[in-house]
Amino acid sequence: MTWLVWRQYRLQAAAAAVLLAGFAAVMVVSGLQMASQWHAMLGTCTTGGGHSSCEGAPLGSTIGHDFEVLSVMVPAVLGIFFGAPLVAHELESGTSQYAWTQTITRTRWLTVKAGWLLLAAAVWGGAVAALVTWWSGPRNALYGNQFQPNYFDVQGIVPVGYAVFATALGIAAGTLLRRTLPAIAVVIGVFIGVRLFISDVVRQHYIPAVTSHMSFLSTPGTLARSWDLASGITGPNGQPLPQSSSVNSFNGVPLASLPHACQVLIGQASRQAMVAGDRCLDAAGYRVYDVYQPANRYWAFQGIETGVFVALAAVLLAITYAVVRRRDA
Amino acid sequence: MTWILWRQYRAQAAIAGALLAALATLLVITGVQAASQWHSALAACAASHTCGNLSNTLFLGSHTVGFLVIMTLGVPVVVGMLLGAPLLAHEFEAGTSQFAWTQSITRRRWLAAKAGWLLLAAAAMGGVVSGLVTWWSGPNNALQANAFNPGRFDIMGIAPVGYAVFAAALGITAGALLRRTLPAIGLTLAGFVALRVVIFSWLRAHFMTPVTSYFPLSRGFTPAGSAWQLAAGYVGANGQPISIPQSTNGAVMGNAGGAGIPISSLPAPCQSAAGNGPLTRATYDAVVSCAQAHGIRGYVTYQPAGRYWAFQGIEAGIFVLLAAALIAVTFAVITRRDA
Repeated sequence: MTWLVWRQYRLQAAAAAVLLAGFAAVMVVSGLQMASQWHAMLGTCTTGGGHSSCEGAPLGSTIGHDFEVLSVMVPAVLGIFFGAPLVAHELESGTSQYAWTQTITRTRWLTVKAGWLLLAAAVWGGAVAALVTWWSGPRNALYGNQFQPNYFDVQGIVPVGYAVFATALGIAAGTLLRRTLPAIAVVIGVFIGVRLFISDVVRQHYIPAVTSHMSFLSTPGTLARSWDLASGITGPNGQPLPQSSSVNSFNGVPLASLPHACQVLIGQASRQAMVAGDRCLDAAGYRVYDVYQPANRYWAFQGIETGVFVALAAVLLAITYAVVRRRDA
Repeated sequence: MTWILWRQYRAQAAIAGALLAALATLLVITGVQAASQWHSALAACAASHTCGNLSNTLFLGSHTVGFLVIMTLGVPVVVGMLLGAPLLAHEFEAGTSQFAWTQSITRRRWLAAKAGWLLLAAAAMGGVVSGLVTWWSGPNNALQANAFNPGRFDIMGIAPVGYAVFAAALGITAGALLRRTLPAIGLTLAGFVALRVVIFSWLRAHFMTPVTSYFPLSRGFTPAGSAWQLAAGYVGANGQPISIPQSTNGAVMGNAGGAGIPISSLPAPCQSAAGNGPLTRATYDAVVSCAQAHGIRGYVTYQPAGRYWAFQGIEAGIFVLLAAALIAVTFAVITRRDA
């Protein structure tokens, strides 16, 4: 069976290897450039204390950045080319009738085919993610944004989970629809839908977020490398004030909902008046708050996200097994 | 022929129609909201004379819809993969081309009808999505003045129509040459992404010679409207750009394209004018007038906002021409091949 899978997929494997080699070449060249740029910078700007004086400095090349952004679609491509045709193409071309009447059982046939393909998808997704993670190293050190949406999605171990899920989705869609092209369309639509839903709605609730309250008078603490979810002002009763993106707002809160005496001070341009405005708000019991996921939860979140997608892949594979075993040859 | 095509593609047409309707509903609802938010913000800032920094304080729309709008970048390539690539490849794979090619209708007419309708459908889909996105982005374009920037330029105006026609033609040609659907889909995806990246990263900036404006250090300069800024920096008296180290922990002056010039890069007399302590208003002015006396000026290289539609036309034209070349190749291949 393994030999058969290799014969069936050697062309795809060769194409995938060539593309991965091209990707690796670009990322390594661009990554080395970026790393040397970063080391040159470290020599000049850390002496001023912290990395703050380097912030805003351009880092990296356009082509490396383009490839980093494009790597977000690698799992979907694996699902389209490895997953969708796995069963659907056999059914379409009628070869399943031959394959399913041999001494090898259908369960074993599916296990070997799906097993190797899922492994290949995981390896490919992992290799791309490892390159992107290494490439992003200097940028993560400078901006500490690897927990932010979009950056989180192309680094660490989550791309492996996405690749396994997309491939399982392709296999299941091909088994249910019995045709390759509709299965490919389902992979594109469902993969993007599930990814968006989880990253926009579900991810921030994996672990309850931390809320920190600060006085207006304290110097703002840094939330470096954490994932900021919300910020604003709480009123004297400790409740967050409603926010609006109107023009006359202060930290996102409309000026009209702050005490009148403080409004007058905040509205003024001078530094002294602004400090007095902060004092005034503090005396009236107003506080600044931040809702965030702390930086040390990064790997927990990576693990949970990967686990969610691997679990979804397992469900899809269970469905595939049930359908393949029950179907008439 | 037209009737056959309709029968072959009615399921795809129904799905595409449903997806377009869903996108249109979402964008129209959120677009009307964003427009009213924009108008009330404009009225409020005009009353308080704070419209200058509106682009820093106001956020229009929601992140999710904004992300969906960016995702429309992928519409042309999906059209090419799912509609273009199988157009001929699936006929070869299923053997139906042998039947189709032995009828009274000539191959040329068969191909012209199939490819013609599909390219028209691709152009219509690209145009409808782009029209919706362009309208939806109106307030944001006015607020951020970034319609010319890479990424924004690619999802608005007429460029997406050119991309969609090209992607569909690429899929048709790949199918005619490779005769199998899945490899044709792969070639469409890779070819489309590669060409878009090359044009977007390297060629587009050179469609027309960029304009370079020089300005005195004592006042800044921002190109009017939604210009596309390509480079910014400082030149010395000899007209040569002054190299600015990647970072510095010293004081900086001026602000061309967000980057200041470090005082340590200035001629020695100007450095001594800065003194040793922190810069005050007076020493800062002294440094600026000294640098101006040494002929140092700022510059911005950009494509002016007025060229937006010329660039859209050139970009769309390139992709339509490439599509025409691909279709010509397809005709040559199909009319020569044995049934």
